[in-house]
Amino acid sequence: MNQRPNEIKIETHGDIVVLDIRGDVTAFSEPTLNTAYNSAKESSPKKIILKFEDAAYINSGGIAVLIQVLAQTRRNNQKIGITGLSEHFKKVFNMVGITKFAAIYPTLQDALSAMAALS
Amino acid sequence: MRADKTVLDDQTVELNLPSKIGYERIAIGGLAAFAKSVGFSSSRVEDLKTSVAEACINAMQHGNKGKPDARVLVAISFQENTLRISVFDEGEGLKVQPKDPDIERIIENLEPPVGFGVFLMKRLMDKVEFNRTSNHRHEVRMMMKLAG
Repeated sequence: MNQRPNEIKIETHGDIVVLDIRGDVTAFSEPTLNTAYNSAKESSPKKIILKFEDAAYINSGGIAVLIQVLAQTRRNNQKIGITGLSEHFKKVFNMVGITKFAAIYPTLQDALSAMAALS
Repeated sequence: MRADKTVLDDQTVELNLPSKIGYERIAIGGLAAFAKSVGFSSSRVEDLKTSVAEACINAMQHGNKGKPDARVLVAISFQENTLRISVFDEGEGLKVQPKDPDIERIIENLEPPVGFGVFLMKRLMDKVEFNRTSNHRHEVRMMMKLAG
């Protein structure tokens, strides 16, 4: 059983870059997510939103990949927000401590509004 | 590979999977259908799915170590208001339990981003045990009680 490669759409909203991640998030997502993050980084954004699909399957391999992206955003002094998670994965992200480094918002609009207000 | 039982009762399901990442989704699809049918809530079914997916992934990666002919067996049963899931692999099991991952140290690159699977199993299930079986398999045994 092979995982379909992720599709990641990169959108810019003012000074915020949104990575719209389609598909499941596992260890196999690493190259696509890194490529998308590196593309987004070219415009030197200070704020990044990771948007997931509500029905996405996310496993520990995917969590490890996301934490590596969080580490890069921290090194680059970027603020990061997350949206599109199911209630279950909001709980899981809180358990593993991702919420210490990234705020979780209920909708993309909420994330854009809250992050636009950040300096 | 089979569990020790040879005759299964009508509250037990077994799934025999290739040891290849991705097939854990077959297990969690079957598990979700089973758990819903005996009355678990959607949120508890999601907890089960994550826990069993992680146990299967560990069995494939660390237990069977990529051996092409190895299998992962998942046995699911519901008795006395408790769902019991065992995930068997052909490895030796853990000599030392991994410590919980520390995200702050991982972010600072002071430790590798590993250990989330066992951590989530222990947090999401009511009970998790790691055993060696009499037929030299490694078993992760998990339990979840049906509330109310």
